[in-house]
Amino acid sequence: MEEKKLFTVSSNPLVRTERDTTRIMLDVIIALVPSLAVGTYMFGVKVLLLLAVSVFSCVFFEWGYRKLMKKSRSVGDLSAVVTGFLLTCVLPSNATWWMCVIGAFFAIVVVKQLYGGIGKNFLNPALAGRAFLTAAYAGFMTSWAIPTTLSATVVDAATMATPLSYLYAGTAMPEYFNYGSLFLGGIPGCMGEVSALAILLGAAYLLWRKVITWRTPTAFIGTVAVLCLIFGHEGYNRLDWTAFNLLSGGLLLGAFFMATDYSTSPVTLRGQLIFGAGCGALTVLIRYFGSYPEGVSYAILIMNCCAWAVDRVTRPRQFGVSAEDVKAAKQAKKEAKKKAKEAASV
Amino acid sequence: MNLKQQFKEGLITNNPVLVQRIGMCSTMAITTSLFNGLGMGLSVLIILTCCNVAISALRKAIPNDIRLAIFVVVIAGFVTIVDLLLQAYIPALSASLGVFIPLIVVNCIIIGRAEAFCQHEPVGPSFWDGIFQGFGYTVVLVCMCLIRELLGSGTFGGGLIDITEGFRLTLDGSGAGIRIFPETYGATILLMPFGGFLTLASLLAAMQYALRKSAEKKEAAERAAKVEVVKEAANNA
Amino acid sequence: MTETKKSSNQIVKLALILFVVSAITSGVLGVVNYFTKDIIAMRRAEARAEAYQAVLPYDGEYTSVSFDEEAWETVDAISQAGGEGYVVELTFSGAQGSINAAVGVDSAGAITGVSIIEHAETSGLGAKITEDSFRSQFVGQTLGMALSKNGGEIDSITAATISSQAIVDACNTAIEVVESLG
Repeated sequence: MEEKKLFTVSSNPLVRTERDTTRIMLDVIIALVPSLAVGTYMFGVKVLLLLAVSVFSCVFFEWGYRKLMKKSRSVGDLSAVVTGFLLTCVLPSNATWWMCVIGAFFAIVVVKQLYGGIGKNFLNPALAGRAFLTAAYAGFMTSWAIPTTLSATVVDAATMATPLSYLYAGTAMPEYFNYGSLFLGGIPGCMGEVSALAILLGAAYLLWRKVITWRTPTAFIGTVAVLCLIFGHEGYNRLDWTAFNLLSGGLLLGAFFMATDYSTSPVTLRGQLIFGAGCGALTVLIRYFGSYPEGVSYAILIMNCCAWAVDRVTRPRQFGVSAEDVKAAKQAKKEAKKKAKEAASV
Repeated sequence: MNLKQQFKEGLITNNPVLVQRIGMCSTMAITTSLFNGLGMGLSVLIILTCCNVAISALRKAIPNDIRLAIFVVVIAGFVTIVDLLLQAYIPALSASLGVFIPLIVVNCIIIGRAEAFCQHEPVGPSFWDGIFQGFGYTVVLVCMCLIRELLGSGTFGGGLIDITEGFRLTLDGSGAGIRIFPETYGATILLMPFGGFLTLASLLAAMQYALRKSAEKKEAAERAAKVEVVKEAANNA
Repeated sequence: MTETKKSSNQIVKLALILFVVSAITSGVLGVVNYFTKDIIAMRRAEARAEAYQAVLPYDGEYTSVSFDEEAWETVDAISQAGGEGYVVELTFSGAQGSINAAVGVDSAGAITGVSIIEHAETSGLGAKITEDSFRSQFVGQTLGMALSKNGGEIDSITAATISSQAIVDACNTAIEVVESLG
């Protein structure tokens, strides 16, 4: 007698891993630590205070809104903590604590929860919070504190211009903005964006943990590099111009941490390439022609709004359907339409 | 239709902006200071009342086929009169509201009330409809102004109140208002068109919430009353 | 046959009614215009005179000066205030709409004052161009003035760079046009 084997019958998902939202969010937080550490070194303990306020307000608003609306609790997934971290990264250190609270409110309540919470928002909450604050408090959002490493060089002022403002104005960079300071973080800027090295460290961790893929960041940074190389700028060596553009502002931070946000970027692989390239092209466009020196945040927000369209045009073929089948189906549809038209005209 | 009901409709249950959702363009565009909001609200109130009375008086003479054309001519006439009078006697308000006074011609509230109310109703109710609907519109404008002005520039009563030399009402729009908190804390974005959308959306949401809550309450009370009746009947039996 | 006649009669009737309503409205408007016309003109003249006095005080009559109108599109009028200098009236675009301003230029080519006669800038933002604290910065400035973020001395209004820049440009234009008079 053959022994009958019993199979368990269940619906998908059939394979479960240890990775869940909480773990992914924790990875993002870990990856942001180097950037914020450099920020704290450059701009002082204030960075940590602002970080605490941001994170606390984000978590509080997330908890409060869900509680008030009698919805399930979602604070445990750490996504609000990540929003708090990212919001701190994209604010200048001259921001005030109450700006963090207002930004957190806009990011969590208006942008995220009003649309249904995690996974349902169509804009990146932290960037939307930054955009709101920029429009509301332009004065604070465009004043840049002097980093610790330059405090001996720049003594006659409380604030200074960022490398991007020099690029925007098209004037030559002062000597204290060189590749070394741009790479290590000795420049004024937003709290989490100054050091390219720290961001790359975090990005490498995220890539290693497979939290993000290479597609969007590569397409994003690549597009910016190619466009800068092609168009260049008067008074700058082409290579210098390109490298400065890549290393200054929020490009790297945006490419690795913001444009890769799951719920606001396309899910298809080709879509991610298009999304990244779109972000890059818009960034260059705004940096060349916009009225603000920095364009990364707006570029990503604009592309966020297009993510659904990108997903739609890059929808992959169904499994088992060949390219010829798709073509044939399209052809048939066209002919049917033609026939219907002819029938209507007769 | 009695006055009390008309008043309630204009202010709450059939508020032009928050329930009928008409006349929203000017609501979002000019509500940046109390001076603007009150001026615009009162201008619309006056024009609406005049138009309502005129159209209601003419309602039997207006042929149905060309009623819209006649409404527009009458409205445009009254708007131009108010515009000229403002330019002559309150130039500051005229300068501050700019193109939005002539634009009252295409404000849906006025043609909407003419179409929905005055062409069927006698002069008396039409007059009160103009007053109450205009009042409802003004109240919404003032609310928008108070919120946007306070959060956007940190003042109360901009253009209308001056407290540099004691409390004084300024009708020439020169008063700086009462400063509630320093200007640096004001979120200028609320004074931009985006702020108009955001504030109006919040007000709409609050209004819908309140209306639904009161409807639910009413329904619950009715149901309770019915249950009482049934219980009593059962007891009696 | 009778039907078409009836409908054409109908149309004539409708047209007549519309005509009567329009005629009455126009009549009323004419009357209102008759009574307010002078007051409005007086108000405008007052506002202009006040603006002129504010930018370049002068006891005598301001005399109108002719200039090359095609070369200076934004300049509406130039008035000479004796030997004191000139008042240039300009209409140019701001952030939201046209701005109408009077700029006083003394005989040495420096700004004596700026006054905004009419504008449609966002109240609370661009509308601050009318405030003293902004306008007083221009007094004494000469050709080539710029906003502080472009290396000049004029502090722009927070979040209203376009409006501020428009005034700076207008002042530069005013000095240029006065210099072109010789």
